Amino acid sequence: MADTLTPELAAERLCELSSDVRAAVLLDAAGSLAGAGGDGREEARALGELARRLFEEIDRATRDWDTEPPEQVEVQVPGGAVFASRTPRWTLAAVAKRGALSSLMLYDLKALLGELEGGPPIRRSRSADEGAPGPASEEFAAEELPMPELGGDAAPADDDGAPA
Amino acid sequence: MKEKRKGPISRAAGLAEGVAATVRRMQREREPRVLVYDPAGYARLVQPEARGQAQIMEIAEQMVAQVEGRES
Repeated sequence: MADTLTPELAAERLCELSSDVRAAVLLDAAGSLAGAGGDGREEARALGELARRLFEEIDRATRDWDTEPPEQVEVQVPGGAVFASRTPRWTLAAVAKRGALSSLMLYDLKALLGELEGGPPIRRSRSADEGAPGPASEEFAAEELPMPELGGDAAPADDDGAPA
Repeated sequence: MKEKRKGPISRAAGLAEGVAATVRRMQREREPRVLVYDPAGYARLVQPEARGQAQIMEIAEQMVAQVEGRES
């Protein structure tokens, strides 16, 4: 069974998931440091404070927009990139290398926060040499790669409000 | 629909075009910018002249500089 992701481990896990991440911090709803990866405690605290200010500025800049408050942010700067994602309870921010793929970074951030909120854990892929954890059957494969069911409750509604 | 290239020179030119387009796209993706994503995943650019954009860039630069300082 996979280890349960705790707030203390989330930022560290992000650094393990992506070699492009140079440092990461997790903040709680109050903006306090809840976990760090790739940094000493003091550096992490400073990085966390900057991450908190980043979303403050984002909220200020987008206050007048007719959209929902941003959930994720990507800032490309000359020496690298900053990615951050938030839920009502947590904010996860990462400093990444210059060539980091935005889509992957944002996906990892969102998936980790989802896991923290009780969603399914991120699983690492295994090589064939390591062996599969279960029987090699179609049922097992379907369980490993769940596909959304068409016509389910989560299906988007049409313009007239009817489910697709 | 893209026209199929026939001769070897034409194919090489096509390959070069593809590489050039990829390099251009990568450069464009790394230009300094601020993108925000709503809960549905739709991206929106915070324009360089927009209120707060400069502060956001500055904070992000500080974050990167701090990590660089630790690494060096």
